[in-house]
Amino acid sequence: MAYLSTIDFFTDRNFLDRWQRTLRGELDLGWLHAKTEKLAATPENPRRGLTFRDLDQGAYGFTALPEVVRQNRSLAPRGAELPEGLPDLQPAVSHKSEVWAYNTEGYYEEAMTRQWNATLDVPWHELAKYELPDDISRAYAQLLTFLTEVEMIATDVPAQWLGRLNNEFTEVKNFMATQVMDEARHSEVFRKRALTTGYGLMKASPQNEWSLKLIRDSDSFAEMSLALHLVGEGFVLTLFRFSEYISPTELDKKIFRLVMQDEARHVGYGVQHLKWVMRHFPEKREVIHQHLDEVENMVFGGGYAVEVTEPFIILAGKGTKKENIEHGTRITALFQMKQIEEYFERLDKCGLQERRQRSKLHNALELTRASLQEAGVIP
Amino acid sequence: MKIPFPSLTFFQALQALMRQDEARFRRLGFVDTTFGIRIVTTDRAWQYLLTFEVFECREVREVSTFDLTAIDFVLQGDLAAWVEMLDNIRQHGGADVSHSLNTLTHFGERLTLLYDDPDNRDKFFRFQESIQEFFDLASALDVELPMSTAAGAVVTT
Amino acid sequence: MAFYLEKDYFEDLELFHLTERVMSGDLTLHWYEAKTERVRVAPRQPARGLTYEDCNVGSYSYDRLPDLIRTNYSMAPRGAELWGKLPDLGYTVNRKSDVWADNVAVLYEEAKTRRWAPAVDLPWETLARAPLPEILEAAMAQLCTFLQECATAALGITSHWVYAINQEFLELKSYLSAQILDHARHVEAFRKRALAGGQGLKRASVCAEQALKELLSADTYPTSSVAGNVLLGSFLLELYRYMAAIAPSPLDLRLFRLAMQDAARMVAYGTGNVRYHLRHHPQRASFLHDYLDTTEHCLLGLAGSPECLEPLILLSGGGSEASQVQRGSRAVAHFLRQTIADYLERCEHAGLSGRSTRSQLPQYLQRLGV
Ligand SMILES: [Fe+2]
Ligand SMILES: [Fe+2]
Repeated sequence: MAYLSTIDFFTDRNFLDRWQRTLRGELDLGWLHAKTEKLAATPENPRRGLTFRDLDQGAYGFTALPEVVRQNRSLAPRGAELPEGLPDLQPAVSHKSEVWAYNTEGYYEEAMTRQWNATLDVPWHELAKYELPDDISRAYAQLLTFLTEVEMIATDVPAQWLGRLNNEFTEVKNFMATQVMDEARHSEVFRKRALTTGYGLMKASPQNEWSLKLIRDSDSFAEMSLALHLVGEGFVLTLFRFSEYISPTELDKKIFRLVMQDEARHVGYGVQHLKWVMRHFPEKREVIHQHLDEVENMVFGGGYAVEVTEPFIILAGKGTKKENIEHGTRITALFQMKQIEEYFERLDKCGLQERRQRSKLHNALELTRASLQEAGVIP
Repeated sequence: MKIPFPSLTFFQALQALMRQDEARFRRLGFVDTTFGIRIVTTDRAWQYLLTFEVFECREVREVSTFDLTAIDFVLQGDLAAWVEMLDNIRQHGGADVSHSLNTLTHFGERLTLLYDDPDNRDKFFRFQESIQEFFDLASALDVELPMSTAAGAVVTT
Repeated sequence: MAFYLEKDYFEDLELFHLTERVMSGDLTLHWYEAKTERVRVAPRQPARGLTYEDCNVGSYSYDRLPDLIRTNYSMAPRGAELWGKLPDLGYTVNRKSDVWADNVAVLYEEAKTRRWAPAVDLPWETLARAPLPEILEAAMAQLCTFLQECATAALGITSHWVYAINQEFLELKSYLSAQILDHARHVEAFRKRALAGGQGLKRASVCAEQALKELLSADTYPTSSVAGNVLLGSFLLELYRYMAAIAPSPLDLRLFRLAMQDAARMVAYGTGNVRYHLRHHPQRASFLHDYLDTTEHCLLGLAGSPECLEPLILLSGGGSEASQVQRGSRAVAHFLRQTIADYLERCEHAGLSGRSTRSQLPQYLQRLGV
């Protein structure tokens, strides 16, 4: 049975009496003397409007949030007076460093103003003027099938976690809410584009589904964020850039530019979160490494998903003839290396430089680089 | 009046157009980034610093050096690559599939992204559509581009 | 809960050979002849763009979804070819008639085009230029403290389910995602409004939070939706409408008008959902009635909490003088009647016929003397 309010408002005599008194004009006004701070926040920059950063003052601020939230487990907003009898929402996370990132509030405001609309902001009516070769359309439809498949995970996961965070973490919860919407939009735009190709959706990608399960079923928010924001979305960001690079039409370029913007915010949060953890909890280093071992295994296992690699090869080589495929594999190999390199670059800046030595993925990168050099693909 | 490229006037003109088209850029959202533009030939370089804030391009100026730790990134390329991009924008009313900023920078073939912190570099992606549309505004300008030679080199006038 | 991949791919020779094969240009092309329907959709009405309704075709359509989803527990998109070994991602809401509403796709499109951002879409400078009288500002600060609690609960309700709902219900999950953003926006907007006015936040409400926790913990989707979208949604919609009508400043007028639009979508989905649910399972009406019999008292916990009621009276009367309080009380009594009448009307209209006679809310109003 679900939770039941400690007060039955239909039958509670005091509640009724008080309400009647109030309507007769006998106000209690206890709240008027709440022992809270007074604040008249104003926009630091009027053009930007009133931001969460402008509210970062005193007990209302996120800067003043303690590492462990001990007082508030209810729905009460941070800084309000907390009377006796507030319910316990059983938050799963009450440690600030589990969820916090530098600039969380900035990412949130950016996300709110940079929302776009997959229905209207893509010039769908222009599609009529493009006729793509059959092999390109088909490869593209398969790529889009994969993209729409993986995007929704990033809706489910932040949605699940935002409901489990202590309500003192308003800015993080709100940022997660923007991500939920961003990812729903990504699923939408890729599905719509697939259905306009003349092919529709093609084949699901089982290997990637198992990867999604690893992210979905993370034990903690911190593990989830590493797997989703830092690694998963980091790779997806490079993938969007590559997709823009090989996009067959201007309309597709625009789609990828728009999704890229959102993805870069999510990765930004992931990077700034890891930086925060490394700064405030250096002792977590080993745990992070262990989890990255698992996540890198997920990334590497992605090699099984040839239904993703092959469309890339065809799109990058612009066809299925031998010379197209040759060209396409070369570009795709470069892209895959770039994905991994950018990931290690991000870790470096978070203070995890030693990751390169310990990582099997980095080892794989070095082997690939050597073999591409030997084959004369890269200098 | 013809606006020469490369020049500070050119970027000032884009800045002015962006202000005029406020509704369009407002719709795209906050854009908060400071980045450099570096245009090089074998014997010289032009360097501009562009600062975007809230919904507009707040400042453009010519600079002699870039401090990569103080700004987000620098977009660098041969004058020929920049000219080709602008020429393309002029012809199509906006960059076509081969000339979008991301395409030109993706593998660093035509334009390169220089940066210190990858997180700041990522702002190039976070504000990609705004930055692309900022450059696409050049299609409305009467730009005087240096002449391209057959070899791809350019001659400035 | 944790899930780990079943092997160490770095030691996997099969993977090594497959990658080597593909990257040497010998593609498998196993996906090339996918057994899926070929379609080419286009916007029916170019001015509206390409909507989900335009994509509601053939095997991709949501109209053709079976009521029970047994065949897909993965994220594979509806209409794609399922093959190989796909995981069970753990969805626990797999019945279309539990979650669906006929207006889901339309509401999703509407939510996107009507987006707003509190930072830049509210005239913050006007508040600094013309502050409210102190007592009214304090009342507004208290009301906004209360409204953050409500919005936080609404956010919790929606986000809790998104994770559990089968991916086949894509358009519905997309709509719920937009709703999550709406709720987050309200948390933000009311927080900013309270902290901009000079009074800061006031007191959290025990009554309201007890009621909200009860609504938040409904244990099935249909009950949760009727609790969150219809009951709480109705209350918030009426309150925003009321506040827009008596707004003490241009900023507040705009704030409540914009919040009202969002809440109206929430209610439209909620009633649409009940209607769809009961159309497919008329016998479940008694189950929802039973649930509401127990739960409707939460509406009283919200409306009658001193942290909502008292500031509302001051704002309605324009101050704390006896005559103002009298006037305010009369106006609030009217608001309460209206709120409960509109809520019950929505229930009836959604297919919960007999709700207005069965509900204890009207009698309670009588006991109150309203
Ligand atoms: Fe995404
Ligand atoms: Fe993302």
